[in-house]
Amino acid sequence: MKKKALVILALIVVCALAPALAACNTSGGGIVSGGADTLVIYNWEDYIDTGILDEFAAYYREVTGRKLDITYSTFDTNETMLTQVMRGETAVDVVCPSEYAIEKLMRAGLLANQKELAEKFSKDYPGAFDNMSDSTHSGNINATVLGKIGETFGAMEIGGKVLDMRDYMVPYMWGTLGLLYNTKVISEKELEEYGWGMLWNESDNPELENMILMKDSVRDSFAAVVFYMEEYDLLPDEVSETYGKPFDELTVNELINCTDAPLVAKAEELLTSQRERISGYEVDFGKDDMINEIVYLDLAWSGDALWAVEESEYYEDTDTYQLGYYVPEKSNIWYDGWAVLKNSDSKLAAMMFIDYMCSPEAGARNSGYIGYTSAVDQELMRYDNGAAQALLDVEYLWYANEEECSVWTDADGQLAFHFEWVEGEGYWLDLFGREIEPDESALTPLSLQTDEEGYYLLPADIAAHLPEGMDSYPLDEDYIVCPDSISLFYDDEGRYPEITENLGVMQDYGAANEAVVNMWQRAKAGGGVPASLWWCLFAILLFVGAILAAYFIKEALKVRPRRTAKSSEPPSAEDTDGGEPSSS
Amino acid sequence: MTAAAIAVSKPKRKFKLTKRVFSYPYVLFMLLFVVIPLVMILVNAFLDSDNTLTLDNFADFFTDKSSLIILANSLLVGVITTAICLIIGYPLSYILSKMPSGRVLVLFYVLPMWVNFLIRTLATKAIFIAIDVPLGMGTVIFGMVYNYLPFMILPLHTTLSSIDRSYIEAAQDLGADSSTVFLKTVLPLSVSGIISGITMVFIPTISTFAISQLLSNGKIFLFGDSIQMKFEQGLYGVGSIMSLVMLAFVLVSNFIINRAGRKSGLSVGRSLW
Repeated sequence: MKKKALVILALIVVCALAPALAACNTSGGGIVSGGADTLVIYNWEDYIDTGILDEFAAYYREVTGRKLDITYSTFDTNETMLTQVMRGETAVDVVCPSEYAIEKLMRAGLLANQKELAEKFSKDYPGAFDNMSDSTHSGNINATVLGKIGETFGAMEIGGKVLDMRDYMVPYMWGTLGLLYNTKVISEKELEEYGWGMLWNESDNPELENMILMKDSVRDSFAAVVFYMEEYDLLPDEVSETYGKPFDELTVNELINCTDAPLVAKAEELLTSQRERISGYEVDFGKDDMINEIVYLDLAWSGDALWAVEESEYYEDTDTYQLGYYVPEKSNIWYDGWAVLKNSDSKLAAMMFIDYMCSPEAGARNSGYIGYTSAVDQELMRYDNGAAQALLDVEYLWYANEEECSVWTDADGQLAFHFEWVEGEGYWLDLFGREIEPDESALTPLSLQTDEEGYYLLPADIAAHLPEGMDSYPLDEDYIVCPDSISLFYDDEGRYPEITENLGVMQDYGAANEAVVNMWQRAKAGGGVPASLWWCLFAILLFVGAILAAYFIKEALKVRPRRTAKSSEPPSAEDTDGGEPSSS
Repeated sequence: MTAAAIAVSKPKRKFKLTKRVFSYPYVLFMLLFVVIPLVMILVNAFLDSDNTLTLDNFADFFTDKSSLIILANSLLVGVITTAICLIIGYPLSYILSKMPSGRVLVLFYVLPMWVNFLIRTLATKAIFIAIDVPLGMGTVIFGMVYNYLPFMILPLHTTLSSIDRSYIEAAQDLGADSSTVFLKTVLPLSVSGIISGITMVFIPTISTFAISQLLSNGKIFLFGDSIQMKFEQGLYGVGSIMSLVMLAFVLVSNFIINRAGRKSGLSVGRSLW
């Protein structure tokens, strides 16, 4: 998500191309002034399937009859976005920051109430805002995620009013914070036993020493260290000032948002001790280092982790991947959401865009393209034709092949697919990838037609095999989509974890931000000047000294036999000594 | 620079006005991208997060032990890098200046500069990982030396190869042996190059952040990293103070280096950068 090195590179390239880009911009601006509506979208880098933008422009024209010019720009950190938007340096209509940044924007009074906007615009465009969510209805959005948001941000007191964040943003992507690990080095049992302690190598795995990467991000590292304290009873013994109860009685949500001084001090101590045991801090190269086995454990966001697992090696004999993603019992749940700026001139286009992004197809396309979990309800996506097509395009889904599975029909005529990746460990799935336990005696094998490569063709009488309430097979026209691939995508606990009490939403640190940032800086810098630096300096001085000494000795040897020593020699040597800049 | 400007402007008085016009784009550029950002940093340094006037940022920085340690680390890394560059660069430039094909050979040292330094640093990191060198202070200093060595070699080579051979011959005629020739003739004549080299290496090294970050996996945290982090986290006040401190160090080191240069009779040499 944060590709710092790439950003720097990109900046350099942009600087080089600035004149050309400027020229592009002005020509673009000329067209914009020609009467079309405009929409400025400000999103994370690499956080959308950009093809959708043009499609949205076409959709907008269809609905409103007006042309739409979309300007799409990106940011690399929430803070960059906040500076741009809060200082009013960029005129933006829609932004897509993380939860705490949305909180900041709301507190600054910069966001428009989307519920009111939807009501207002629905008069002219009925039905155009049904996909998106607000505090009263969830639309196409995952209701559990919305519920979680409501728990933390459901009643924010801002300027004397009580506001619900769900009226001011629509979740776009969400995920968890967890551990990306190498399955050869770390066993699942170890992870379950040591949880977040793995980042401190609590299991004393010799292979893990100096092979751990931490996130170079204050908020995520602070969350990890707080969870670690909670797991290992390292929380301060005092009573939390903010919540008025002992630290070990705080709920996950309270704990993750607590910035009391004793907790921050303890976090610093633990993070400083961790520094000696880890390989380093990263924000962008962790995935690659994990795949290349330069490190074995990485603190990761779910989307990045799933991408890395997907890219890693697959061992056929054990049906496992080289990498795995594990979310310890207690963790952080984060989300990014679309919000409309109050001073936007294109609120209609902005709202329609947000609604457009909430369709199952857009959700699947973006999710498939960037690898993060879309906030669109996965059950809607599972049965949606467009969503399936989008995931087929990016190879998250594939067609069922006769080598992978056998097809049976049960007593009701329902299709049952039998998979057996590892000898003796077979399982049954229905047409949509849900696990079933059919009565095996009632099953009859079905010989579906296949094409020359062994892919099952969709039977003509598919309607007869569909579950009740469904009259057509919604996934594809000619082939059956492999139910196992559907299951792998939608039933992946990494992608769709169970949302419980144990997942906490992080709020803005507010006034404590500076204290936490300073703590993080101290932890990262370690205490004092490293001894190696002094040794290095000492070695250089020794080297320079040796050269000078060699010169003096040579002079001394030269002077003696000749006897006609020039008196000017010794001072000249001192002179050069004083003028030697390397020793100063 | 001023001497050169006067020298050029004297003979052709007619075109004086035209020439001044030609300098306007540059003046404008300097105003926009040098003066205004500096003023903004200066203003930010005295503002807190609510945009009210305050001196707290100064107190924050100068009472924070970790920031001062980080600054000391950066200065030490800068000194060490500069010293290593000089120790490697001077003999090399000296040898190259004596060789007839020196000019071509210097090109080989400059050639890597044509590749973006981030790409080079990432490549260096990949090499270290491939040969199992643990990333840390050693690799950071290596990376710094590798990146800034050309900036040391270039001015040194220019100065050394422009020394009039007759000075050396004269010294030899007067009976000086090779080490005396070097110490009493070549070294004093090349002080301007040494000073340019030191300026070119020391000042960027104390403010880099990418090299230390990449070549130590973020474990070596230098002053540049700290400034970057402060700005990234929206702490503009402290970040601005730190930038000013950095600026002060650049100015002070420039002043000291120049002073040292003038003291050792720099009048023979020319300022190169």
